This record gives sequence, C-alpha cells and structure tokens, in this order.
Amino acid sequence: MKHPQLPLGLALKDSARFESFFTGRNQEAVQSLQSAAAGRGETLIYIAGPAGTGKTHLLQAACHLAAEHHRTTGYLPLQELLNLSVEILQGLEQVDLVCLDDAQALAGQGNWERGLFDLFNRLRDSGSTLLVAAAQRPDLAGFELPDLVSRLGWGVTYALKPLADDEVLAALLYRARGRGLELPEETASFLLKRIPRDLPSVFNLLDRLDEASMIEQRRLTIPFVKSVLDQEA
Amino acid sequence: MEVSLWQKCLVRLEHDLPEQQFNTWIRPLHAVETTDSLRLLAPNQFVLDWVRKHHFDTISRTLHDLGPDAVTEVQLDIGSSNRAAEPLQATAASVAPRASSAEQPAPVKYKSNLNPDFTFDSFVGGKSNQLARAASMQVGENPGGAYNPLFIYGGVGLGKTHLMHAVGNLILERNPAARVIYLHSERFVADMVKGLQHNAINEFKRFYRTVDALLIDDIQFFAGKERSQEEFFHTFNALLEGQQQVILTCDRYPKEVQGLEERLKSRFGWGLTAAIEPAELETRVAILMNKASQNNIELPDDVAFFIAKRIQSNIRELEGALRRVMASARFTGSPITLEFTKEALRDLLALQDKLVTIDNIQKVVAEYYKIRVADLLSPRRSRTITRPRQVAMALAKELTTHSLPEIGDAFGGRDHTTVLHACRKVVELKESDARINEDYSNLLRTLTT
Repeated sequence: MKHPQLPLGLALKDSARFESFFTGRNQEAVQSLQSAAAGRGETLIYIAGPAGTGKTHLLQAACHLAAEHHRTTGYLPLQELLNLSVEILQGLEQVDLVCLDDAQALAGQGNWERGLFDLFNRLRDSGSTLLVAAAQRPDLAGFELPDLVSRLGWGVTYALKPLADDEVLAALLYRARGRGLELPEETASFLLKRIPRDLPSVFNLLDRLDEASMIEQRRLTIPFVKSVLDQEA
Repeated sequence: MEVSLWQKCLVRLEHDLPEQQFNTWIRPLHAVETTDSLRLLAPNQFVLDWVRKHHFDTISRTLHDLGPDAVTEVQLDIGSSNRAAEPLQATAASVAPRASSAEQPAPVKYKSNLNPDFTFDSFVGGKSNQLARAASMQVGENPGGAYNPLFIYGGVGLGKTHLMHAVGNLILERNPAARVIYLHSERFVADMVKGLQHNAINEFKRFYRTVDALLIDDIQFFAGKERSQEEFFHTFNALLEGQQQVILTCDRYPKEVQGLEERLKSRFGWGLTAAIEPAELETRVAILMNKASQNNIELPDDVAFFIAKRIQSNIRELEGALRRVMASARFTGSPITLEFTKEALRDLLALQDKLVTIDNIQKVVAEYYKIRVADLLSPRRSRTITRPRQVAMALAKELTTHSLPEIGDAFGGRDHTTVLHACRKVVELKESDARINEDYSNLLRTLTT
C-alpha cells in the first residue's frame, strides 16, 4: 500500500517548478532529474553543488512533477530534520520518489549515516527513485560510512554548475518576467553589481522590490531600486 | 639453506600451470615436510576439494619427477602450517529446537528479495574474485552441502552482494520451490525488534528457521547488537543443523569484526570463507564492457581503459561513472569517444588528479603505518621505516606519472635505483606476504577514492 503523503509537515514551495528553473549550463542534470521524477530514467541521481545553485528548487520541482505523474513523493530537508529521530526514515521505501536535501548534514552522524544506508538498501529493494542533493560529491561530503559513500556513488552524479554572471542576469530577468514585473536590463545589471549574486539572494531581493514597487506605485528604475537598497542598508 | 622439495615443486608448477590457476589453487597451500612424507594444507575445504580433483595428480607426478625416492606419501588436509587443522563439525550445544510441525501456523509468505539481474552470467570473474565465485557456484549447485555457511568478505563495492544474489538465483533456478531469503542485516535486526515489540518473536524465529537458504548481507552491522546476535546465533545453528544453506557477507574477515561475539565469529569460519579482492585493471575493464553491453552500448576499448584506470576504488563507483557517461551520451546524442568521456567525467575525476601527488601518498602512507612523513624521508633504515617507504615509493610509481629520479628525490634525495628496488621488492612482497598485499590494496583504495 502506498502512503498518500508523508506524515511530516514539509510543504513544497509551489513556485519550485522545472518551468521556473533557470537551467544555465545544467541542462543535462535537469533533464535527467525530470525523467527520473516521471519514473522513466535513472533510479538514483546525486546532485552536488554549493549553496545557491538550485538544488532545493530542483528536488522540489521533481516532487511536483512526480505528483503530476501520480507518483507518491517525499521531500526531506535533512538539515532541518536532524534534531528528530532517525526513525523518520522508516517506511520511506513505500514512496515512489524520495528526495533528500542537504545530505551533507548527516555526515559524521553515525546513526543517521546508518539510517540512510539502510534506507538506500530498502529503496533498491522496493524499486523507488532516490534523488540526493548535497554540497559535495559523495566521496567528498564527509560521510564516514564507506558503505554509504559507495552506494551514493552508484548512480549518476552531477556537479551543478553555478551560473555565470550573464546567466544570473538572465535568470533575474526571466524570473521578473515570470512574475509580470517589468525589470529593465540596466536596472538588473545595476542590482547585480551591489548584492550577493547567488540566486536565493537575488530572488529574495526581487520579492522585496516587487512589494516596494506595488506599495509605492513606482517602476523599477535605477533611482528607485537604489533607494530601496539604501533603506535596507 | 637447502631448497625444500616442495619449493622445487612450486617452481615447476608455476612454470607448468597457467598463472591464475597457480596463484589461486597452488600458492595458498602450506607444506609440512618430513623426511618421507609431505602434508599439504589447504586453507579451506573448497580449495582442498578443488586441488584434489584438478591438481593432485599433477602435484604427485611432479614430486615424483623431482625426487623419485624422497616422498612416499602426499597427504592433503585443511589447515595452515601454524596450527593444526580445526575440526569442521559443529558441536550443536546450544541449538534451539526447530519449530515442530504441530505448532506450524498458517503458511508464512516468502519474498526472496533476490534481484534477478544478479546472476553468475552477469558477474565478471577475474583473479580478484575467482575463489569466491567458484565457491559460490558450488554452493548454488549444492546448497546445504559441505560449504555451510558460505562467508564472503571484502571491501565495499567489490561484488559481494552480487555473488550472494547469484547463488540465491541459481538455487531457485534449480529448484523453483526452494525458499530463499535475501536480506540485509539491518532488516534482520529490524524484524527481530518488531517481533519483540509485537510479541511475535516466535513467528520471527519460525520464519527464519524454515527457509532453505538464508542470505544475510553485511553482517558487520550486527556488531554491538547483542540481542540480535543471540537470536541470529540460534537461527544460524538451527539452519546448519537442518542442512539449510546460510550465506553471509561482511566487509572484513570474521575474526576481525569488533563487537561480534566470539562464538559467532568461530561459527562463521566453519564452512567456507572466501575473500573478494579489489578488482584488477583487466577485470574492471571487463566489468565496464559487460555493463555497457547490457545497456546495448558498445564501449570502445580506450574508453573502458580510461575509466577503469581512473576509478580503482570499487565497482559501484565504476558503474556510477559509466552511468554518467551513458547518460551524457544519451543527452547529447554523441558517440562515446575518449574525448567525450573525459569531458563527461570531468567533475568526477578532477579530485583524483589532485589527490594523487607524491606528497599525499607520503602523508597517507605515514598515517597508515603510524609513522611520521619525516621518517619516510630520513636516512633511517630500520624495518619499521623501510617497508612503509618502499610501499610509498611503489605507490608513487603506480599512481603518478613522475619519473623514478623524481620519486627518489622526493624521498629524501634517494637514487632512482633505490626506487626501482623498492618497486620490485613490493611486487615480491605482495605475492609472499598477505599483510603487505592487504596494506597495499588498502592504501591504493584510500588514495584513489
């Protein structure tokens, strides 16, 4: 019997979809994740990359896509779950698609590493799909259980490539357009020279600008965004 | 010193037999020679049977040729030259009673958990796993026979689980009604805990004691779990008693598992213990070719060699690399060429190039032998320093592209002939000294993982 959903209050962000992901040079990884989510491709994909490369977005997008294909899903941000008991990993093998985010958070935590190793074996038996995201590749993420490292390395591993400057710019414009915001390119370039250029920071700022422009009924001109930035500083 | 008759015989056999045969079957034999008899000790029943069947005549004939009057009797036994052969029979002192048919409840559902893809056909054999593979086949053909339990051990990702499934699949193929159960040791523990919690421990016992073959993977995870060990001990005894096959895998030799009861360790050695070593280059290439052809992909030789040379740690990671190459080829629609492969695996391999420097080799070797890097570079020539130094030099030669003079320089300004000597010495020691062989494999794995 399949669990309709996990008994965990882990809501997916509705906006985290493949359509809203700026792929950049990660087309292959993205396509591979899409196939896996739909239950057609690989059964184990490990994506590695520094913060801000879109790992969380991709895993959540995979869950949304899987649900569209009537597959049950479980998304587990391990960093946030570490203070719970490792037993939350029990029963996950009954889920069609399991996504483990921030897997490096388990590194060095003996019982969690064992729990993940055990889950891995159960998932293989049950034929479920496992997607893992971590800051580093399996052999570099700091896991101490060699059995776990070798299993995580069994699937297809992708190193997500951070976006280049022009891609961050394109991603920002793309996101703004998706939200119906008119963001002139010169304003976007101006912004990117002044803020951290990882996508979460950029998109957060975009949210705030959106709000500010609505409240003040102003367009996103350079003087306006400068005033917002100055206020925040 | 006079060269013994057996040593002369070895020289002759090494020449006469194919290398792989000689290394697998003849080299492990220990000889105990007296003036008129020769006792050859095989490490286990399987080697003994094999040698008796396939090589005994050749050995006898060779001995006769070498010294027609020297040996009147050649005897084959199990044991090693250090200790007398241990009896193989179990003393079933604490065997728990089998569930009697009277208390048999409704039939239990069996799910074998066997992966049908893991067969002997899909298992790539090589020097590193020859004994384990042959032994496993024997067990598959004759479960519950002489090799019970079958204990397969070796590092992670070398194919233990595959072999275990292959045995299970073979048993089922020959007898589709056989109840074969494969499970991971953690599952056994979880089932037992569940049995205890739900007051169903008797059902648990009955279930596991009525199978025809019980295959438990990674039994090192029983370590420190006393209640599970206790339960397993009884199950194990009951199965052996009933001539039901038990197959176990472990990441190390049974006696070396910390936190495992002595009585279990000793029982694990009753049947046949077979090691799987890290696969050598040719086997890794064959594994890649095999895997690719299963996916209907023709892998060019140079690509297979490139991947196999770069990824030496274990077969899972080897397969992971191949999967990535195949996925990239599918994605781009490109043919799999060497250049394409290098590009596809760039993120995976970057680290390996970086790790394997002479400095790093020295550091890892020094840590492994618990000496200082400075000792490796010093003029000291005590055995405790010389051996690690030779091992480190041999590793530097194998894993880097540095010239011998460069390696010599890096080891405190030694001459290149010293490096050459070290490399030859290590090759020799790897053959004659199991410990050095293991050290070398461990280090190789550490450095290339």
